[in-house]
Amino acid sequence: MNISKKIVLLGHFGVGKSSLIRRFVEDTFTDNYKVTIGVHILKKEVVISPKETVSLIIWDLEGNDDITNTRASYMLGTSGMIYVFDLTRPATYEQLESDLNFIKTNYPNIPIKVVGNKKDLVTKDFIKQNSDVFGSFTDFYTSAKANTKVNDLFSTLAKQLIS
Amino acid sequence: MLAKHKLAHEKAIIQYLIVDKKSIILESDDAFFSNVTKQSITSLHPFFESITTLLDLEENQEYLFSCIHLETDNRNIIADITLKTFSKEHALLIIQDLTTHYDNYQLTAQKRNESVIDSQILELKNKYLIEKEEFKNTFIANFSHEIREPLSGIITFVDILGKTNLDSEQKDYLNIINTSSNHLKHMIEDILDISKIEVGKLNLIEDSFNLSEFLEEFVFTYKIKAEEKGLTFLNTIGEKLPPQIIGDPYRLKQILGNLIDNAIKYTTKGSITLNVSLNQVRANKASIHFQIIDTGIGIEKENLDKVFTSFTQVDTTQRNKGTGLGLAIVKNLVSLMDGNISIDSEFNEGTSFALNLSFKLDTKTKDKKVEVATVEKLGKDKYHILLVENSEITQLSVLKILAAQGKFYLDIVTNPDTLIETIQNQKPDIILMDINLPNTTGDQLAIEIRQLPEKELKKIPILALTGKVFPEDLKRYKKAKINDVISKPFDEKSLLKTIHKYLK
Ligand SMILES: Nc1nc2c(ncn2[C@@H]2O[C@H](COP(=O)(O)OP(=O)(O)OP(=O)(O)O)[C@@H](O)[C@H]2O)c(=O)[nH]1
Ligand SMILES: [Mg+2]
Repeated sequence: MNISKKIVLLGHFGVGKSSLIRRFVEDTFTDNYKVTIGVHILKKEVVISPKETVSLIIWDLEGNDDITNTRASYMLGTSGMIYVFDLTRPATYEQLESDLNFIKTNYPNIPIKVVGNKKDLVTKDFIKQNSDVFGSFTDFYTSAKANTKVNDLFSTLAKQLIS
Repeated sequence: MLAKHKLAHEKAIIQYLIVDKKSIILESDDAFFSNVTKQSITSLHPFFESITTLLDLEENQEYLFSCIHLETDNRNIIADITLKTFSKEHALLIIQDLTTHYDNYQLTAQKRNESVIDSQILELKNKYLIEKEEFKNTFIANFSHEIREPLSGIITFVDILGKTNLDSEQKDYLNIINTSSNHLKHMIEDILDISKIEVGKLNLIEDSFNLSEFLEEFVFTYKIKAEEKGLTFLNTIGEKLPPQIIGDPYRLKQILGNLIDNAIKYTTKGSITLNVSLNQVRANKASIHFQIIDTGIGIEKENLDKVFTSFTQVDTTQRNKGTGLGLAIVKNLVSLMDGNISIDSEFNEGTSFALNLSFKLDTKTKDKKVEVATVEKLGKDKYHILLVENSEITQLSVLKILAAQGKFYLDIVTNPDTLIETIQNQKPDIILMDINLPNTTGDQLAIEIRQLPEKELKKIPILALTGKVFPEDLKRYKKAKINDVISKPFDEKSLLKTIHKYLK
């Protein structure tokens, strides 16, 4: 059985949304930052089990430092969400709790994974020290550059979407 | 003809598609995606795959998706896509190519985002640096403070040890300990000062003080230091300087002291000059100009702006040790006092520092010279006093008292071996004699003076300065023909009174 599911990646600009997707879909990474405007849509099949495959239709949204400005049409028909912040820039996670509340209120019952990206640039200690800032909300600490937890992130969400 | 050219230049900018509720394309004008009729719309691009759920909704709906990146048959476009449902059976899709428009937006967004991210990273770096700096400063402040305690223990007991019976070898060693611990003490004080300055905890006091007294005492101290190194100490003190000013005399002393210490340190031959003059008096404030000139090693032009930075020593030969903080402290103190300082230097020729500092005038405090019992008319304009004393504290207090009078030259002998020669050269009017001296006593020296061949010298009044005033001591002084005794600790009045008794 092959079903397709739309997921969107949200978060401030420059946090690594496109990089995570590029790593997941093409297994490549670049240090060059090319700002995403509007939305790029990519597709990747995720094999859940020998019998089950999910086609993830991944919407790579333009970054926005104000979540309430996200274009509503982009969210239509979404089955899952990934909210990405940048571990190296506090500005990208200072509003984390209220951003997540906004999402939960406006898109109830849609599974969401919260991701702290660029883990390669911070220490374990740093993550520990900030556990009260983002620790309790975060599902994955990823690095698109070092390929840490990227597949995990997408396949965990994919599994959740079909269960 | 026009139609032909137009056709060649015209790019399709819009494509219309009719789809049914099962996502099958019924009609298309093939502008970007060609030969697509009867196919499922989902095969064109993943975008359409994700909107199929919208196709079986109610009629007369309209959705706009803006700025969608699409890979079409022969190029990538950025488009706005409109979905309109008319009946439950059919929907219209309009793909409008807005690439040019969005490319411009892409450029703007790129610039904006990059600069925001850069500034966030910079802010973060600054925050990190500030935290590090704060940590450094508190660490240094606490640490230096903790070190001072045991160090002052060492200094005190070296002092006490020096007063016990030691042979000359032991004394030499003790001297070295003494010099080293004093050096260490000064460095710690410098470090403490700079860390206080950096956290803004260094406060200036406001005291009224007598400027000419201050300068006389200052010149005196540094003249000795310079001469010890074989350098000439020159000074001109302007006549128009205000007598009594309000400011922080301790920090002023530190500023000038650091500059002159520095000058002495980097000069091996020639002179050190201190010039002080009045710039102007305005609104009850006097602006005073200080200049310190040496004939030392100088500083290369390219290093001039580094000299005021903490922990920088332009001379890296290690020949001249120190913390490298002296000038940074000076610079900071000067700006705390709202003054300014500049440096000029010629490599291998010498360096000069110029500073301007403002002080409030104190018009209330009277010149506080002690009026010694309606003094008889004195025979000379200035009297020459010779002090035989090796304690710096006593030297300074005598100097302070005499300088304020403006009637005395003071010379100091610390080494008793040179005393007789000095007396013969300088023919002082009065000798102030400490009793407890290295290798000898004041009364012993007095006996030697009284045996001098020169008539006018052997009669010079000798006044003992001593804490030993038991009857048997006094008897001994009398026997040595010491004229009078000033007991330590003495005050201004008793010193001046006794001296005046012997002035002719
Ligand atoms: N070191 C490191 N750099 C990363 C990582 N992920 C992304 N980056 C870098 O971060 C910058 C931004 O990455 P993007 O993936 O373009 O970020 P985005 O969230 O898509 O940004 P917008 O499209 O503007 O919203 C790029 O320079 C990437 O190379 C990571 O895991 N580690
Ligand atoms: Mg992006």
